[in-house]
Amino acid sequence: MEFLEFLGNRADDLLEMGLAHAAIVGAAVLIATVIGVALGIATYRTERPREFVLAITGTFLTIPSFALFILLLGPLGLGWPPVLFALVLYGLLPVVRNTITGLREVDPAVIESAQGMGLNRRQRLLRIELPLAWPVVITGVRVTTLVLLGIAAIGAVVNGPGYGEMIFTGLARVGTPVAVNMVLAGTLGVIVLAVLFDLIFYTVQRLTTSRGIR
Amino acid sequence: MTQTPQTAPEPEVMIRLENLTKRFPGTQRNAVDGLTLDIHAGEIVVLVGPSGCGKTTTMKMINRIIEPTSGRIILGGEDVTTTNADQLRRRIGYVIQQTGLFPHLTIGENVATVPKLLGWDAARTRSRVDELLSMVNMDPDEYRGRYPKQLSGGQQQRVGVARALGGDPQVMLMDEPFGAIDPITRERLQNEFLRLQSEVRKTIVFVTHDIDEAIKMGDRIAILQEGSSIAQYDTPEKILTAPANDFVRDFIGGGASLKRLSLSRVRDIELASWPTVSAADSLEQAHRVLRESDHSAVLVLDTEGRPARWVGAEDLRRGAGQSLDRIGTVPQAVVESRATLSDALNELIAARYAVTVVVDQDGRHLGVVDIEQINEAIRSMRHSAVAEARTEFADGRTAP
Repeated sequence: MEFLEFLGNRADDLLEMGLAHAAIVGAAVLIATVIGVALGIATYRTERPREFVLAITGTFLTIPSFALFILLLGPLGLGWPPVLFALVLYGLLPVVRNTITGLREVDPAVIESAQGMGLNRRQRLLRIELPLAWPVVITGVRVTTLVLLGIAAIGAVVNGPGYGEMIFTGLARVGTPVAVNMVLAGTLGVIVLAVLFDLIFYTVQRLTTSRGIR
Repeated sequence: MTQTPQTAPEPEVMIRLENLTKRFPGTQRNAVDGLTLDIHAGEIVVLVGPSGCGKTTTMKMINRIIEPTSGRIILGGEDVTTTNADQLRRRIGYVIQQTGLFPHLTIGENVATVPKLLGWDAARTRSRVDELLSMVNMDPDEYRGRYPKQLSGGQQQRVGVARALGGDPQVMLMDEPFGAIDPITRERLQNEFLRLQSEVRKTIVFVTHDIDEAIKMGDRIAILQEGSSIAQYDTPEKILTAPANDFVRDFIGGGASLKRLSLSRVRDIELASWPTVSAADSLEQAHRVLRESDHSAVLVLDTEGRPARWVGAEDLRRGAGQSLDRIGTVPQAVVESRATLSDALNELIAARYAVTVVVDQDGRHLGVVDIEQINEAIRSMRHSAVAEARTEFADGRTAP
């Protein structure tokens, strides 16, 4: 009961934080998708560059987020810039990997017949290969979104926007009655956002995938 | 060079391959080694040979899916060896064994691929799509909006053919187009395709490893050995009756005469006669006819002249008092006159009295075929093929 009361009192704050959280993750996902798909397209046909890109983007994910935010303090200062930058780095791997996988899984016979019809390299990529790889690509973007929603909360250590602020304030007051409520509210906010984002992606995926490959 | 007066003018050469060679990186031998081949307009030329002989590589060099190492490709008089490959491919239909339909596009969109690339307007494209689907026996209204996965293998390959015809190309390349389809459907698609070809008259290069398919589909067959060197390039009749060398003979395999039979039709040979009676005749009349002939049975025809019964002397004795169309046995071995000699032979082997009854399209009796006629047909084919080969040799017209 006490928790619900707490939620009621802080509803405005929570909504504002939610919007900020969603905005920074949304922006990071968008940038990571553009860069990731581009990297995937650029490298999926040649082995060396492909392995290289996967290794680098994989390495990003292994850097502890707490450490990365602190490291970015120097060059990027406080607030959203270091958070956005870090989130983009963390978001690359799932998008790049799924783009490469999706494009490489396209049936060679389909590509050969497209070539035989006289579609040039660009037409084959845009009209045939990307649409066929799309369900796999968008799954990667979904994974990226979920990962970034969690990591974004840590961004509060450098004064980043979102539910992290609520969680970190709660952690600073461990022992007081309000502490648990704050951490719980922040965590719940992230989960609600995750569910909402996933619903959006499900709808987008349904709407943008051809009935012929569903 | 003297031109014999009775020969028709040489048909136009649509595709000329000149000294075409392909060596893949990292290999010792040329996959295709200096192939020179003329393909005439409106003909189906089948490239056939054992696997690894370079037939598919040869075909894929014509639309430059595989770029030749050296040599020239001349299409309708124009050297296309180094022109824009994408432009070239829009002028050449392409059908592959795995079909390669675009799974995310509807059947209509698949067939519209090349018209769209060629920049046709929407109305023209739409009517072309419907025309093509009808040509391959698929109802446009029913199938236009479907996706490839909703079609059977045979239907998918029909769409593959329709799509290849999209831009009304003069030339089609077909790489084992019916290879992955069950035998019954394959036979039907082959027949449909031959009928379609008799209307559209494209120049077709058809690759297969199956000599029987080659004989059936080809106006001309190029039997290829390793490195795509031509063992024999000739009509199916000539290849079967006068194989150029042991390689060709081995490749055709046993039963060349049997295969040859599938190239001629019953209506092209003289039928034998067989004693017949009408179903309305009496048993006594049948008896008399039978006694006057040197056969062991008479064929009873119904009022329309269709074969109704075989009646032998034994049947006549046992069936006393009954009418002729109630005794004896029903003829099983019956073919129409448009059937091949191979069909007729197949029937007569199993048939009673060792003959196949031949009827017209309305089922009326025309005569019979027995083993003598088939034997005679084979001998005359061989005779004329050998004679022709000799004349050509004397004229110096033959290729090596």
